[in-house]
Amino acid sequence: MAVQASNQALAGAAARGLDKSAIEAVFSPRSVAVLGVTKSPGTVPYDIFHNILGSSYTGVLYPVAPGKRSIDSVRAYRYLTDIDDQVDLAVLVFPANVCEKALEHCAAKGVKGVIIISAGFREVGPEGVSREQRIKQICRENGIAMIGPNCLGVINTDPAISLNASFARKMPAEGRIAFLSQSGALCTAVLDYARGKGIGFSKFVSFGNKAGLTEMDLLEYLHDDEKTDVILLYLEELRNGRKLIEVARRITRGAGAKPILAIKSGRTPQGASAAASHTGSLAGEDAICEAVFREAGIIRVASIEELFNTAIMLTNQPLPKGDRLAIVTNAGGPGVMATDAAVRTGLSIARFAPETTAKLKAALPAAANIKNPVDVIGDARCDRYMAAMEAVLADDGVDQMLVILTPQSMTDIDDIARGVTRVHARADKPIACSFMGACDVASGIEILQADNIPHYILPEWACKAMTDVQRVIKWRSQPEEQPQQMPADRAAAEAIIDSLPAGYLREDQALAVLKAYGFSVPDYKLCRTADEAVQFADSIGYPAVLRIVSPQVVHKFDVKGVALNLQSAQAVRDAYRDMMAAVRAKVKDATIDGVIVRRMMPAGHEIILGAKQDAVFGPTLMYGLGGLFVEVFKDVTFALAPIGPDAAMRMIRDVKAHSLLEGARGTPPADVEAICQSLLRLSRLVTDFPRIAELDINPLLVWPAGKGGAVADVRIRLNGENQPQ
Amino acid sequence: MDSKEIQDRVVKVVCEVLGVDAGMVAPESNFVFDLGAESSQSIQLVAGFEEEFGIDMDNEAALAVQTVGDAVTFIAKYVK
Repeated sequence: MAVQASNQALAGAAARGLDKSAIEAVFSPRSVAVLGVTKSPGTVPYDIFHNILGSSYTGVLYPVAPGKRSIDSVRAYRYLTDIDDQVDLAVLVFPANVCEKALEHCAAKGVKGVIIISAGFREVGPEGVSREQRIKQICRENGIAMIGPNCLGVINTDPAISLNASFARKMPAEGRIAFLSQSGALCTAVLDYARGKGIGFSKFVSFGNKAGLTEMDLLEYLHDDEKTDVILLYLEELRNGRKLIEVARRITRGAGAKPILAIKSGRTPQGASAAASHTGSLAGEDAICEAVFREAGIIRVASIEELFNTAIMLTNQPLPKGDRLAIVTNAGGPGVMATDAAVRTGLSIARFAPETTAKLKAALPAAANIKNPVDVIGDARCDRYMAAMEAVLADDGVDQMLVILTPQSMTDIDDIARGVTRVHARADKPIACSFMGACDVASGIEILQADNIPHYILPEWACKAMTDVQRVIKWRSQPEEQPQQMPADRAAAEAIIDSLPAGYLREDQALAVLKAYGFSVPDYKLCRTADEAVQFADSIGYPAVLRIVSPQVVHKFDVKGVALNLQSAQAVRDAYRDMMAAVRAKVKDATIDGVIVRRMMPAGHEIILGAKQDAVFGPTLMYGLGGLFVEVFKDVTFALAPIGPDAAMRMIRDVKAHSLLEGARGTPPADVEAICQSLLRLSRLVTDFPRIAELDINPLLVWPAGKGGAVADVRIRLNGENQPQ
Repeated sequence: MDSKEIQDRVVKVVCEVLGVDAGMVAPESNFVFDLGAESSQSIQLVAGFEEEFGIDMDNEAALAVQTVGDAVTFIAKYVK
């Protein structure tokens, strides 16, 4: 076989009874049978057969077309089992209701790879779901690697195979980029788009309903595919987020690392907006996905354009040693725009060494700008561009170069493009180009693309792509971090949680859980009478705080269920009386368990820490500054638990308002270490207790550095799993 | 009309529309999987059966019939 399948791919696939040869059979078959071919041009069955025939496939192709002697002079077979030779890959284009029969023939024949193009499965409703379950079972029982159903197909451009087993219009050019997509229709648009940009592919897979091989299996396979340098992924749904992270981390870091770029189309889960907690309402699938992709080293982009803009910077180019960019342009305006874009996206503008400046001064006219961005001015021809590019690339303070060209009447566009290709061939630094325009620059762009030199219509796109490359580099250099296990009294928390049904914990119970996990919780007591409240307040000192405890009261402030800054016993007594009356008036049938009495804490930074059990990703943490920052600006960060200190600090630093914690307008820096420790404790708590469905600590009050912080309010909701009877 | 006659006439229509030999057609034959009926031919089969037997069938139900034997049973309801 041309390519060895990844051992890792088979670790996951082995669990489903697949061996090495099965996945290989999908991508590198020696023989292919198309089951259900018709004689009607323009139909999927006919077109797929013809695409394989027309793609110069190097293996043997068999049409299975009952009732037909031949399909376009290729001998046809009634059944797969009528074929004497071994068949590696079967492509099913029969209607869905006979695919099961066809798959049984595949199993009987010993076919190891199957692509089911046919629609009419899970996506059409209950009958389709059952149908899909049955074909899954057949594949599992017979060790068949299946792509689909309901997919566009698979393309392998390796000249040793050259297979277009899809109903895409044309075979793409060979390239070093692999594309995996959950949307078949998008695939055809992507192929056409890439063709227009001169971008080729190594492998192209539409995996449809992913009833067999999933994106995880395919990612692992591509990890070891020697023909693939970059993996692009389009996803609509994630079923196993943690597995994706595990697989992606292996691929994007370490030996043989390959970048993964992804588009994940957003879907707002209905539950997110209905959640009662801040965490529940903010932690929609898309928000968590953003964080998860970051943790997995997957570069998430927003569009097909961005996907390929970054992909082409990562193929056929060395990685830059740093982020220092040099710009060579024949137009001042675009040069400045590119500089602005570079700074905005996080790149550095290289400062030239004196030798470089001297070279530029000697080679360029007096009117040229010899600082960065180098402006060779509007009448520049190839010689001036060459002198500038060579001087700049030779500078050790330059890591990468962007060449901008605007088509003046004297600009020899094609010669300059060829000059760039000559410089590129000798360079050990990445080069990108922006020949701005559409018509006059078209032939020059073709010259660049033919040499795989990344080209962008706008310099800003080049800068964004270069910044994404920096993200890849930074990710690879980040050390692998282990989660940190904070000390905790798990048994004490367990005693509380295991004794309770689904629903919200009383505040005293929630505080007790946090205390067991080492959170700083001020002394408190659940008091059921005014006398008890006064007695406790006397013991802990004033000012005191009273907080109503009632299963029917979730938002305490809304019902006057919180009294602050109570300076005396009488104030406590009055507050107790008033609170009972107010709550009973506002919440008619409230069951009042009492009030939490605690000492009033000094003002500090208000932080929100949250957690939820996400259906796709499991225990998920949220962090942000409280108050307006979370309610209005939604300035929060997410991570999957468990986390270590580095991940906790990243969550803290990544909120936009973080600078407020570093000290603003003369205020001292906050105790960020205390926040970090609290995040780690929360991480352990929600990992240990999957029954914690949602948790909000809002606020965690944090004081100046060294003074720590403490929980001012907490809500914990348990789910119903393993609840007591 | 007995079952055998219905079956013989069904097979005749199948052979005409799908261009297959009668020897290929058995009661358990699936129109698509065993006899290669394409979607346009399925419509032609229904029209062919209606003409052969002088009946007017529920087209949606007729198109859902998958085997020759099931077609015989389906048509028998109309003929009787």
